[in-house]
Amino acid sequence: MNYEINMHLNEIAVIRLYGELDHHATEKIRTHISKTILQGNLNTIIWNLERLNFMDSSGIGLILGRMRELNTVNGQTIILNPSNTMKKIFQFSGLASFMMTGTEADAILHARGIVNG
Amino acid sequence: MDNEMTLSFVAVSDNESLARVAITSFVAQLDPTIDELSEFKTIVSEAVSNAIIHGYDEDGKGIVTVHAVRDGDLVSVAVKDNGKGIFDVKKAMEPLFTSKAEMERSGMGFTIMESFADDLQVESEPNVGTVVTFTKKFYSVKMPQIS
Ligand SMILES: Nc1ncnc2c1ncn2[C@@H]1O[C@H](COP(=O)(O)OP(=O)(O)O)[C@@H](O)[C@H]1O
Ligand SMILES: [Mg+2]
Repeated sequence: MNYEINMHLNEIAVIRLYGELDHHATEKIRTHISKTILQGNLNTIIWNLERLNFMDSSGIGLILGRMRELNTVNGQTIILNPSNTMKKIFQFSGLASFMMTGTEADAILHARGIVNG
Repeated sequence: MDNEMTLSFVAVSDNESLARVAITSFVAQLDPTIDELSEFKTIVSEAVSNAIIHGYDEDGKGIVTVHAVRDGDLVSVAVKDNGKGIFDVKKAMEPLFTSKAEMERSGMGFTIMESFADDLQVESEPNVGTVVTFTKKFYSVKMPQIS
């Protein structure tokens, strides 16, 4: 398990997850992700799952936990490029409306309210 | 019966990936599709994590056993622990129910297992342990045999 966080304009955190996200992995990365994103004037988290090979319900806990932290600032969450199996897991968990297919640039524009077309 | 395996390990979270690797090799002969394989791995991951986290509180001592049998394109798996057991199985299986919200568990494990498995059974007794048994059929596209 590995991850990368890139901040845009101090407001948008793009988190790229790599490898396998299970209970073991979430326990290792949660605190650090949480600390990093709570710096700045964060209002959006974009989770890019393109390079994530596996995720179980621990991923739901991780994303919901950060959504709760964003709630205080009315922040938003975008889940980018989930696999078919992950899509189903998000659907069961009531997170279907947060999924998006596209590039990080698309998601950032979307987050800033600039939607093409 | 075409193949059978048993894997036992102590209740530490590192072993969640061990269980997934073993079970992935076990079904490799069936040439599963990417989606079939990832759904299968997810069920195993959920059941094994539950045994480690809830059954044994990650005590590093309790033994989790994964037993798998393959019969044609049908695979049956039993994940067993001798941990603290479940007092009310029906309640535990409700979507969003978790006894460890403080750990950011989502309570979606059983719902995901039930949705991805063809058949799932949970037997549990407080202070005795839990067995989660499921089957999954693999429809993987079969290549015509060249003789
Ligand atoms: N092997 C087990 N031993 C004891 N309790 C368990 C076991 N598996 C599940 N449970 C109980 O069932 C609940 C629901 O499990 P699950 O749906 O996987 O959600 P979560 O793991 O996120 O809590 C757990 O919170 C726990 O109370
Ligand atoms: Mg669980």
